[in-house]
Amino acid sequence: MGASKGGTRLSGMQKQVLSMYRGFLRAARSKSLEHRRQIESVVSAEFRRNSKQVDRKNFIYIEYLLHRGKKQLDQLNSPDTVGLSSLNVEGN
Amino acid sequence: MALRAAVLRHIRVPVQTLGLKSNPRAPSGSIRLMSSHDDHLSKEEVADRVLSVVKSFPKVDPSRVTPEVHFQKDLGLDSLDSVEIVMALEEEFKLEIPDKEADKIDSCNLAIEYIHNHPLAS
Repeated sequence: MGASKGGTRLSGMQKQVLSMYRGFLRAARSKSLEHRRQIESVVSAEFRRNSKQVDRKNFIYIEYLLHRGKKQLDQLNSPDTVGLSSLNVEGN
Repeated sequence: MALRAAVLRHIRVPVQTLGLKSNPRAPSGSIRLMSSHDDHLSKEEVADRVLSVVKSFPKVDPSRVTPEVHFQKDLGLDSLDSVEIVMALEEEFKLEIPDKEADKIDSCNLAIEYIHNHPLAS
């Protein structure tokens, strides 16, 4: 989708993405230090990967990612969840 | 008369200085100009701490950081990096910055301004 550069005004969808990124980083703060670092690195890698790979005009796919992210964030915010793990099924 | 003198000689009244105890927070000597709280951070301190947080960000070249720099235009960061910097500032100053405000903070100057004006920054 392209993380915005140069301080142009953010679109509504970009704001949603940044807000979600903030949400994940906040959720990570509530976990143990070890898990926090691990969550931060997984989340940051995922957002950066999508910011490079997803076409910024592919709104339907971005909506889908936002929807999926919201569910993952809700789960991460539960006190029962201690950490995150990622599974690379594409193998790239 | 003799009786009065005799009585007065034996009376001891504890000496009390009026006024000082009654209002311990009263300004003594110094004048506080329109300050609503005593431990508010000075702008210099806020600026120093903001700059040191930005300098310690891994992708930033510390020698380029001045109060005037724009995160994205001058430091080559993107919007995800800006989010991380503002989150790091939240922790440094023990604040929670709402999304609406956080989206606007895109330079050291704006960060310093916002934090300096925030009543809970510590």
